[in-house]
Amino acid sequence: MAWAIGANDAANSMSTAVGAKAITPKQAVIIAGVLEFAGAYFFGKSVTETIRKGILDPTMITDPNVLVYGSVAALLAATIWLIIATKFGLPVSTTHSIIGGIAGYGIVYAGTAIVNWGKMGQVVLSWILSPIIGAIMAYFIFKALTKSIFERKDPVRSARIWSPFWIGLAFVVIGTMFYIKVLHGKDLKTGVLMYGIPLGIIVFLITYLLIKLRFPSSDPFIGVEAIFRKVQVITSGYVALAHGANDVANAIGPVAAVYAVATMGLGGLLVPVPKWILAMGGLGIAVGVATYGYKVMETVGKKITELTNTRGFTIDFSAATVVLVASWLGLPISTTHTVVGAVIGIGLARGVKAINKNIVRDIIISWFVTVPVAGLISAAIFKFLMIVG
Amino acid sequence: MQVWTKLFAKSPFKPLIKHADVVLSTVETLERALQYWYEGNYEEMEKVAIEVDRLEDVADRIKEEIRDSLSSKLMMAVAREDVLIYLHMQDKVADAAEDTAKWLLIKKPDGVPTEVKDIILQMGMESIKAAKLVHEAIVQMDRVIESGFTEGEIKREYEIIRQIESVENKIDGLDTRLMQLVFENADKLSWGDGFYILNIARTLSNISDKAKDAAERIRLMMNK
Repeated sequence: MAWAIGANDAANSMSTAVGAKAITPKQAVIIAGVLEFAGAYFFGKSVTETIRKGILDPTMITDPNVLVYGSVAALLAATIWLIIATKFGLPVSTTHSIIGGIAGYGIVYAGTAIVNWGKMGQVVLSWILSPIIGAIMAYFIFKALTKSIFERKDPVRSARIWSPFWIGLAFVVIGTMFYIKVLHGKDLKTGVLMYGIPLGIIVFLITYLLIKLRFPSSDPFIGVEAIFRKVQVITSGYVALAHGANDVANAIGPVAAVYAVATMGLGGLLVPVPKWILAMGGLGIAVGVATYGYKVMETVGKKITELTNTRGFTIDFSAATVVLVASWLGLPISTTHTVVGAVIGIGLARGVKAINKNIVRDIIISWFVTVPVAGLISAAIFKFLMIVG
Repeated sequence: MQVWTKLFAKSPFKPLIKHADVVLSTVETLERALQYWYEGNYEEMEKVAIEVDRLEDVADRIKEEIRDSLSSKLMMAVAREDVLIYLHMQDKVADAAEDTAKWLLIKKPDGVPTEVKDIILQMGMESIKAAKLVHEAIVQMDRVIESGFTEGEIKREYEIIRQIESVENKIDGLDTRLMQLVFENADKLSWGDGFYILNIARTLSNISDKAKDAAERIRLMMNK
């Protein structure tokens, strides 16, 4: 499963940078490999916890075998549904599938009461909200970019000042997350002031100095795009980090549950996810990117010819921020859907020449179909395993 | 995975620019035909006039392709109907050039006075200006979107549109002058010659008229 996520989703989220010619697929593989792993290892815990024991009420499962079979069923169901959906070309989310799968076996085992509907409601709401917030954010960032760079007398000069600002802002978010996740800081304000902002300022200065290099260009737009091409290398890494943080859970949440039970019986659910499992998930994603995701990115990179670097940057920045914040809240959301939301946001700001509206319809259909279908498949597999086992 | 392949559609602007390229060649070829016509070189003129007809066909084909690609399911930075109407107008520029070529082929211009020929040649040159400006306007429109509709780029676009309008004005003036000439020389011309000259003039001024209509559409694209 981790491999499949690396092969498909990770490639999807990195495609904007490849499509806008900021990085080659080869570079994308390296960036994704390292940063997906880092995201999974450092920031992947909350979402994994949600998937491991937030959806179902763990106290209602009395037989350790149920948990093992159920997790296997959920993983299999999600994978099967993803393959079917890919055949039909539906933009289905791995995250949505796995959650459907978990709910599916739980309901077969103990009825609807076992599902933690409050949490489930929150999760489903976050699916609907994440593309919308991604869109709103991209809309405003794009407007801000045009105002602060393109509207100026010397766009290239403005780009040199403003692009480090945006990268710095991304690192404010990353630094704050680091404080909360890795150092287990409790106070958001401290995180922002002590870690986020200083890191942001340091990064701002470094990038500012790096971008000081002259971009000889008679055409200011080409100059601005050239600067943002460099900037996108960093933001695409930001996406990979956020993606690793959020999506590693899809693969290892169920595994972590199985492992806990296998080693410590049902009591195992009370201890947090061991680090090495997160690392394994991160590694799985990285391997997936390297082996198969590479091909996906190559094809997609050729397909997206209409994406410029400033747009790509806006998409990356908005989507990654939304995904990272969702990871912090422990909400498993779909990175791909958030990215699509961001693209639509730029479309609304008149920043993209042509977008197919059908994709929106497809995504909404996938919201309604994925959970029940993955749930049903999972339920069937679970029943079968229980009879056989 | 298919999400990307489905998400982005091809921008209509590159094909629109390609169409403008062909329209511009059509008008330039017509101007060459007018030159031969002016010199009385009927054989060469005939060859070039046939080329005008061929180029107009090419423009038509590109127009069809663009139309087919612009489905109503697209979300674009400019309204779809504006793009379609613009395309229609831009194509009419080539149509008008082809009409002029047809009239040139009707007969040899033996009975046409030199001063009339002078004005017709001038009109031909001004038409090329109009077609060139339309080409410039659509390239600039692409830049307007590229910049996220910044004021500087919009201003530049308005300047191009203004130039198209002034060329159109100039051709109208020449057209009026030509009509007067035809009627001043009515006793020297056969009715056929008069009919022939006036139609050449009418189709020529059509070129800049349509260029102006195309420019109008670009104006609408910008203030959505």
